[in-house]
Amino acid sequence: MIIPTMKSSTPVYISGYGGYVPKLRLPTSDIAKLWKGSGSGPNEAKSVANIDEDTTTMAVESARNALSMSGLCDIGAIFVGTESKPYAVKPTSTIVAQALGVHKTLAADFEFACKAGTEAMQVITGLVGSGMISSGIALGVDTAQGRPGDNLEYTAGSAAAAFVLTNNSKRSIAKIEASTSYVTDTSDFWRRQTESFPRHLSRFTGEPAYFHHVESSVKQLLSEINLKPSDFKYAVFHQPNPKFPIQVAKRLGFTTEQIQPGLLNPIIGNPYSASSPLGLVSTFDVAKPGDRILLASFGSGAGSDSFSLLVEDGIMDKGPNYIPLTDIINDNKEIDYATYTKLRGILK
Amino acid sequence: MSVSYWRLRDRYYRIIGSICDSCTYESFPKFNTCPKCKSHDISDKEMPNTGKIISYTLSYESMPGFEHELPMSIGLIKLDNGVNIVSQLVDSEVEDIKINATVKAVFRKINADGNSGQIYYGYKFKVINA
Repeated sequence: MIIPTMKSSTPVYISGYGGYVPKLRLPTSDIAKLWKGSGSGPNEAKSVANIDEDTTTMAVESARNALSMSGLCDIGAIFVGTESKPYAVKPTSTIVAQALGVHKTLAADFEFACKAGTEAMQVITGLVGSGMISSGIALGVDTAQGRPGDNLEYTAGSAAAAFVLTNNSKRSIAKIEASTSYVTDTSDFWRRQTESFPRHLSRFTGEPAYFHHVESSVKQLLSEINLKPSDFKYAVFHQPNPKFPIQVAKRLGFTTEQIQPGLLNPIIGNPYSASSPLGLVSTFDVAKPGDRILLASFGSGAGSDSFSLLVEDGIMDKGPNYIPLTDIINDNKEIDYATYTKLRGILK
Repeated sequence: MSVSYWRLRDRYYRIIGSICDSCTYESFPKFNTCPKCKSHDISDKEMPNTGKIISYTLSYESMPGFEHELPMSIGLIKLDNGVNIVSQLVDSEVEDIKINATVKAVFRKINADGNSGQIYYGYKFKVINA
């Protein structure tokens, strides 16, 4: 089996990044109290978008942070990866563009379950690397859905992450060394048109879906660029629950210490398309020049994108307005299940 | 979305006001004639996204379409350039909403035309330093 590793013909850099996590947290013990009587979910709590927040508002917040850090204004593409578009037909990306004051740009919404954000990063890497555009913004963002009482309800969270990719090396936070993508037709999780909540095949989501695809894309990446897990300071894996990223890291030869800075599921749950991108934001917050970071997403249906990123000097100057993700996450307020159903319009 | 809201979307999305090219007087919302020097040489100007609360109220009476957001905090804010603006205050505890508290603009949903109509987005503010 050959999976081509993608390398741009000219270097592509990340010059700005931004994360956004809504303020509200629903403890999973509150979900368990209603549906099971006691206990809790695999994660402590999940982030919940407020009544006036959706994928578009969170995308704008994270994109503004990323753009501010990069200092760039020549944006040639805005791609929003999400599976929770407020409009089934009408792009989120054009609203983001209008809010950023950017108009001479490509704009599109991408969908691939939880990996749409990294897919947007790969496409912009190609556009920048080929010289068609000089810079672009890739976003992963979701107000994740989980049917009331379903296992997904414990983890489905809300968040956004944005990255400015550019050919300008002056403010480079990280260089994109290479990436791979691996896909198969695997029905582990889906949502049909007009349905409000996704369905899944329970334990089928593990071995044939998450582990097979993540391991395939990461192994191919490491093989093609001739690196081993110990060459990376950090690794970020998609986080459908707290357990899977730890297990897949161990299987691939990474340590728990390598994934710790980006492991956010225990405190905010799984914000789907924003899951691994937000883990990268959290990892960038602690990274130093010279650190190499592995990023591996997973999207049901199914596929995985893996990246090798080399952190550069720009990481030391995040700009005067930057707020670390930890501060954003720590500024939170607990809500109960009844409030959650009201805010998210779940009771119909 | 109403046509009038669509025409003014930069006002709501980016807090675009005006600056007088003759005397540099700034204002929000936009003006066509400078209220200070009467000049018609006016340009668009993005207002600063931070300021301080100079007055506020907590409303328990809903406007139509905002029933789910009660109680609603509304602030009169002096932006960093001295321009005053009225805005809903969100993600802020009632005890933190006080005069001189520092606030920052956030991008939020304002309202929607029911479940099938268009969604109105715009600015609100949140307290970042009480």
